[in-house]
Amino acid sequence: MAMKRNVCVVGVGLSDGPITPDLNQHQLIAQAFRRALTDAGMQKHEVEGLASAGYGGMHEVAVAEYLGLTPHWLESTSCGGSSFEFHIQHAYRAIQAGDVETVAVVYGNNQLSASGRTLGTGGGGGRGGPLPGPMKYEFPTGLTLVGAYAMAAQRHMYEFGTTPEQLASIAVQTREHAARNEGAMYRDLISIDDVMSSNLVADPLHKLDCCVISDGGCVVILTTQDRARDLRHKPVYIRGAAGGTTHHSINAMADMTRTAAAISGPRAFADAGIRPIDVDVFCAYDSFTYTVLVTLEDLGFVPKGEGGPFVADGNLRLGGVLPTNPDGGGLSNTHPGMRGLFLACEATRQLRGDGGASQVKGAEVAVCNGSGGWLSTQGTIVLSTEAS
Amino acid sequence: MSSPLADWSESPAWLAPIPTSDDREFWVGARNGELRIQRCGACGLHQHYARMLCSHCGADEIAFVVASGLGTIYSFTVIRKNGVPPFRERVPFVVASVQLDEPGARVLAAMPTTAIESVAIGARVRAQFRPVGDEFAFVDFALDSA
Repeated sequence: MAMKRNVCVVGVGLSDGPITPDLNQHQLIAQAFRRALTDAGMQKHEVEGLASAGYGGMHEVAVAEYLGLTPHWLESTSCGGSSFEFHIQHAYRAIQAGDVETVAVVYGNNQLSASGRTLGTGGGGGRGGPLPGPMKYEFPTGLTLVGAYAMAAQRHMYEFGTTPEQLASIAVQTREHAARNEGAMYRDLISIDDVMSSNLVADPLHKLDCCVISDGGCVVILTTQDRARDLRHKPVYIRGAAGGTTHHSINAMADMTRTAAAISGPRAFADAGIRPIDVDVFCAYDSFTYTVLVTLEDLGFVPKGEGGPFVADGNLRLGGVLPTNPDGGGLSNTHPGMRGLFLACEATRQLRGDGGASQVKGAEVAVCNGSGGWLSTQGTIVLSTEAS
Repeated sequence: MSSPLADWSESPAWLAPIPTSDDREFWVGARNGELRIQRCGACGLHQHYARMLCSHCGADEIAFVVASGLGTIYSFTVIRKNGVPPFRERVPFVVASVQLDEPGARVLAAMPTTAIESVAIGARVRAQFRPVGDEFAFVDFALDSA
């Protein structure tokens, strides 16, 4: 049997952000794509695979045309914010198998400028017409997206004694990282009291437990170890990847304290041949503070139910046990509707040693965990400075 | 200090459900004061919302039954911000995920007549029905005083 090819990230690019009222989603993608190509040192015609998650039918085909690409490998799994971890998983396998050499995973959205801050609490739409599946039953209750996560957090508090202050400490530590990032949306330091005294949006989640709404685009380019040899940067290897889903609507989440990351995490770690203790940087999807808490547990960084004390001890800080979201995350840096791809961008920068003021010293292994929908879908990828 | 409860009796027409062949039974049942869910003849478990097969075991021996309307709060939240009218004017209110006494089925429901301060996980609740349009009704829950 032929040996599997090693797959690596060779280029990353971010668009302007986090507020870009004059750029639409295609412009944001194109800007990030151009920057990722330059970062890699590649020509556009080398990109023969495209992965994209967006809105509307055939959106990925429209993106290909806009960028002037004619890819022979196309991927558009669209399962919310974690879509891009699934894209990277699928691209990794396809490149490994020899179906395609070079893939660009792309995302861009002017969420803030086009729709304002309506994603979490409505106001952007939802009236009239048939609602899909379970939403027909949930929308008339007045439940919001924030409310769904809040309900899960409330169950965790009930079962394990987790406190709102412990959740707040995640936002506080993430803001410390954002303060070091000149491009971050919010950079002023905050305290647990600040989080607790910000408006409750849906109990127990306060405004500062929720991610920002921004504009922005991101592109990550993957290729083979062989192709990477004469490119600009030392490659960052994809070592493991897995995904999963447990439910769509929050009411169908059988155990609101356990996500599909409890499945995707161990599978991705086994694929990579690592244990949670080997991880130097965690890029967590932080749509809400609770998303970080529950996925920390599900991925095995801390036993189930012990996430609260773990985060309250400051372990997410630079220099902590598990530095988490050194770029300031979705909670403080950027979250243009979906954030999954930005996790892979930041992991790559950290493993290159390009993390700037937020660099995790000596980082060799990073884990990205994307979360989509209502904690519905989870995708985990393991990246490393070393090939397997 | 308890927050005053909003009046949920009037709903805009656009909020009314558009039943399908799958779930018309549920919406008509609610208008008749019954919580109709499905029971699987093969595994005996229940499900809500209505489907063509059992989401537990995969069998297609599905039939509607009238549930007791009693259940226990699995989790809940207090919605304090919702940008969509009429919910915008109704905050704050409770939305709960209710584990029905019939095994296998959970229902997400508003609790518009229940003071938000009195709700807790594990509390016993009872279904109540709120007409919408001429044919159907929404299923809400309230603390069970019995």
